[in-house]
Amino acid sequence: MIHTAGIDVGTGAVKTVIFAVDGDSSTWLVRRTDRVRQRDPYKLAEESWLAALEEARLKPEDIAYVATTGEGESLTFHTGHFYSMTTHARGAIYLDPESRAALDVGALHGRAIRIDERGKVLSYKMTSQCASGSGQFLENISRYLGIAQDEIGALSKQGDSPEKVSGICAVLAETDVINMVSRGITAANILRGIHSSMADRLTKLLKTVGNVEGSVMMTGGLALDEGLVAAMQEAMAQEKVKLPVRNHPDSIYAGAIGAALWGAYRHHRLAAQSDPAQSDLARAA
Amino acid sequence: MSHVAAIVARCQALFEDLNFTAAREWKEAAPGRIVVGFMPFYVPRELIHAAGGLALGVLGGGDQLEVIQGDAYYQSYICRIPRSTIELGVTSRLDFVDAMLFPSICDVIRNLSGMWKIMFPKVKSRYVDVPQNFSDAVGGSFYVSELGELRDILARLAGREITDDALRNSIAVYNENRALVREVYAFRARFPWKAPSAEVYLLMRAGMVLPVEEHSAMLRDYLDATAREERPRRDNSRVVVTGAFCEQPPLSLIKSIELAGCYIVDDDFMLVNRWEKSDVAADGDPLAALSHAYLHDSLETAAKYQPDQSKKGQWLIEAVQRSGAEGVIFASASFCDPALLERPMLQRALAARGIPYIAFKFAENSGQMQPIREQAGTFADSIKLWSAA
Repeated sequence: MIHTAGIDVGTGAVKTVIFAVDGDSSTWLVRRTDRVRQRDPYKLAEESWLAALEEARLKPEDIAYVATTGEGESLTFHTGHFYSMTTHARGAIYLDPESRAALDVGALHGRAIRIDERGKVLSYKMTSQCASGSGQFLENISRYLGIAQDEIGALSKQGDSPEKVSGICAVLAETDVINMVSRGITAANILRGIHSSMADRLTKLLKTVGNVEGSVMMTGGLALDEGLVAAMQEAMAQEKVKLPVRNHPDSIYAGAIGAALWGAYRHHRLAAQSDPAQSDLARAA
Repeated sequence: MSHVAAIVARCQALFEDLNFTAAREWKEAAPGRIVVGFMPFYVPRELIHAAGGLALGVLGGGDQLEVIQGDAYYQSYICRIPRSTIELGVTSRLDFVDAMLFPSICDVIRNLSGMWKIMFPKVKSRYVDVPQNFSDAVGGSFYVSELGELRDILARLAGREITDDALRNSIAVYNENRALVREVYAFRARFPWKAPSAEVYLLMRAGMVLPVEEHSAMLRDYLDATAREERPRRDNSRVVVTGAFCEQPPLSLIKSIELAGCYIVDDDFMLVNRWEKSDVAADGDPLAALSHAYLHDSLETAAKYQPDQSKKGQWLIEAVQRSGAEGVIFASASFCDPALLERPMLQRALAARGIPYIAFKFAENSGQMQPIREQAGTFADSIKLWSAA
């Protein structure tokens, strides 16, 4: 049995997990989410990592492979880094083996990733640089409206007459929201309108990645936003995309889970290759 | 600061100095010294050295030079290196250069040699033609004649005769330098975590502005210091980067590829540093020796004619095998005709061997690295997780 760690350094939060892996079976030992909140994400990731080790009662040298993902490639103590799409794909399969697509909606962008039963990325599309379809935009708007983040989803579902905002540009979208506020549109309808716009973009992304045969697992920081999930189901019905969209209580950890599990896979693969330099690989000492 | 960091910091300062202060100071240090600029991918630097000159590699303006006047001379569908080179010229950054050599790499650089003659009439400009026929009797005699003409031009410029003995000595000096360059590349292929590509790149760039003897000492110093320095080894994929033999990528691009999970174990940046694959004969007729090395013992690149189509891409496959690479990244400058026209043929050769590859384009002033990180990162992952090995 080996231990592996996955550290997902996101724009909004650092997610850290530790797994015990024995052959094909894995046991999830530790999970941590630390909001960045204007702190140095790399310092935060290091603190989170040390706290996770303490929680697991393990020492750095007990971890066979420390895998980073997201923006974690600059962390000094990682063994290997995996790109976000690769890890979210694997994380989606872990959370729901029937997943054949992952919809990663994070603070800065959204990605639709078509995958196979092993978690291999078959194709993907992501939103452009503009942040109008992102968690950061939603967080900003809710702050302007004086709404706590954990109230967004429930409030959005109360909206009965939403107006969509620009799906092209965050600046235009914010102008749309200002206009709505001045016209007396309720916060619920504003939020639902934003969710609908985001869902439209994400649904279009999903349609462009090819024929998905299975369910869609929402991952990333917005996966548990019930307003967005409801809007996704609505948008997919409108676009005649007959795929079940699911989320999981641990959806936010998908990237970190994928990193840890791919790290275990790499560890075994390198060991099987009898790579003489395997013992030299960076450890989290 | 560690010794490696100090060497790299010196190289970085040389790299960022678009006024070429080190070369200016070298010229001013003794009377009668000449500085001869040259563009990628190859010139016989031994001739410049034997004339008592400094061979100065001019590789464009990179991402730190704002091109204002240079853009006026070229259409929008031309690569950036000629624009930024003109910008260097018209802003007097090359005003200490006595001659400019423009090798036979593409039409754009050939035309630049003519433009340079018109724009800077006091600077001796020379188009360096290289053989397209690789028999000694045809291409060889042609190139010996070309080298002879260049020797006469440089001798007149330096005001001194370039003797065969001086040339043989210069060949030996460059043989030593090339051997050290090859050693650095071999070391990096073996221990890529101990010699990051951004460091190796800066080290090779230093060779473009320093006297060759000083560069050799620097290479020796780096090899010694970096071998002793402990650095963490990552689980990265090993790749060859090819297609950047003329216009150079921004340093951030090279760093992005490695940050994304790739170890660059071979590349074609600044081929002039190791163009000849083994020692050039330092005895006998020196011009014949240089010609022979070009014809029979030099590297391959898209800018060099390959008469045998069945051998197309063989050098790239050999580079992959020699360096133990797991894939190839084609990184070519936008609008680089030689690199982009050659690429499909090289890709076909790789595909036939089952060697994975990706391709993207850059400009020397590219600033947005996210797409590069994304492509290189997913490529590294696909090698690590799904390759047959």
